[in-house]
This record gives sequence, C-alpha cells and structure tokens, in this order.
Amino acid sequence: MDKFYDELNALLSEYRDSVPDFDANAEFMPKLWQRIDARRSVIFRMKRLTQVFVAGAAALCLLMAGVLVLPPASASNDPALRGSYADILAESHPIESLAALGIVRDASELNGK
Amino acid sequence: MLVDFEQIQKAQAGDDAAFNRVVVAYRKRIFGTIARLIGRPEDVEDVAQEVFLRLYFSLDQLRTPEVFEPWLYRLTVNASYDYLRRQRRRSESRMADLSEQQVMMADAVAGGKQSHEEQRRKQVKEFVESLLDTVSEEDRILLTLKEVEGLSLKELEKIYSVNENALKVRLFRARQRVLKAFEASQRKPAKAEAGG
Repeated sequence: MDKFYDELNALLSEYRDSVPDFDANAEFMPKLWQRIDARRSVIFRMKRLTQVFVAGAAALCLLMAGVLVLPPASASNDPALRGSYADILAESHPIESLAALGIVRDASELNGK
Repeated sequence: MLVDFEQIQKAQAGDDAAFNRVVVAYRKRIFGTIARLIGRPEDVEDVAQEVFLRLYFSLDQLRTPEVFEPWLYRLTVNASYDYLRRQRRRSESRMADLSEQQVMMADAVAGGKQSHEEQRRKQVKEFVESLLDTVSEEDRILLTLKEVEGLSLKELEKIYSVNENALKVRLFRARQRVLKAFEASQRKPAKAEAGG
C-alpha cells in the first residue's frame, strides 16, 4: 500500500510538470471584454425593464387605491346607495308593513330613533 | 499577491484598466490551474474566460482585498467543476462516436510526431487523468489543488470555507479512492501477464 502511495505521489508531481503554466493567446483579452460588454448590456436592459415595470406597477397601485378610496360620483347620486345598510333596510320596511306582519318595534327603540 | 491591493480596489470601484491589469497578472496561473483541473487544454481558455467574467461581475462582493487570491481560486474551482459536470454528461455520447481502433490509431499518429520526452509526459498526463476520472469531480478538484497545485490546508480552508479537519477527511477519502484505482490499474497488467 505504501509503495502505491509513494508511486501515486510521484505520478501526481510528474503530472504537475506535464501540464506547465501557459499564457493566453492574443485573442483572449478582446474576447473577454466582448463577453463582459455583452453581459453588461443585458444587465443594463434588464435594469431598464425592471425600472419601467416598477414604475408601471406603482402607477397602477395608485390608480387602484384612488378607485377604492374615492366613492364614484354616480354612487353619491343614487339614493339606494346613500347611508348605511341599516338605514336602507329600515326605509324599505316601514313600521306599518312590519306591524301588518305582526312585528312590533320596541318603544325604547322608536324613542331612541 | 501578484498585484497590489490598490489595483483590486480600483477594479472594484469600476476601473476597467485596473481590472485588465489584474487579469493580465493572474491569467497565466489561472490557465495552468484550470488545465490541470480539467485536463483538456483546448477548453482552458473558455473556462478561464468564464472565471474572469464571474470575477468582473462579482468583484463588488469582495469585502477585503486580502482574500482576493483564495476567492479567485474559488471562482476557478467552481467554473472548472461546472465544466467537468457538463463534460461528464457529454462523455458517453462522445466515446460512442469513435471506435476503440480509431482512438488507438489517432493516438499512434499523434505519438509518432512527438519526441520521446513529450510522449512520456503525454502518457503520464493521460494516465493521471484516467485515474482522476474514476473519482467524482469534487474529489478530483480537491486532490488536484492539494497534490498537484501544492496548495496548503490553510489555503484550501479559505477556498472551501470549511475547517481543517473536515478538509483532511475529504482529502483522505479522495486520496484513498484514487489510490484504489491506481492499485487496480497496476494489478491488471500483472494479472494479464500471469494469464498469458
């Protein structure tokens, strides 16, 4: 085993010499800069696209917020949509019609109103 | 360090001329390391370009210029590892393209043109690469960095970001695997001789 171990170590060091350091050819640096520029332009385009997308999303958010917060003008003119749900319910069921059905409102409730 | 810290800092700040100087200073060493890690001289330039490309776009992540060299080695190891993995996937189909006889003839023709010393080097190179091919890409790279490139455990620690003991265990296992392949290759001819 030790014999193989030593032989392997010798082989590995010989391998080091069989593949010496060597320098690049003349095309290496121009090619590298071409690749860097190509990647840079892709990154630049992606950045621009992201900026446009973020700006568009922000504008859409503002628009949606405006639609949700501000009540539409047509809704304020519609009597059915004015007031709370309880008021609308009370308007559509006058006391007289409730009495006809046998439902009598509490006196204190009427006084309170 | 083959360049001043100042050059690295300038390159980090986006100075292309400084980056150029860093590449020129390190490319020879990186070429040699890649050649020994991947064992295919024709693909060394491509892998080296990938290393320096990754270096350019990740240079701003380097916190201190002192760790530049281990960091560059890590990029080299990662790019070589990616290459070896791709290569392993393709190797089966490539081998199927050539018959054994064609491979032997090509070797003989190439061998005839070389001097004895060159042939010996070629044989060593091919034999060691065939041994390294029997282990995983991780083992191959780790063993090459330690035994062929001659990096110390401290340097390997910085490259792999693991502690010395874990590294020793990994190295021991990798060496055992290669040793096993080496032993097997040495016993085969003996058996063949005994049988013949």
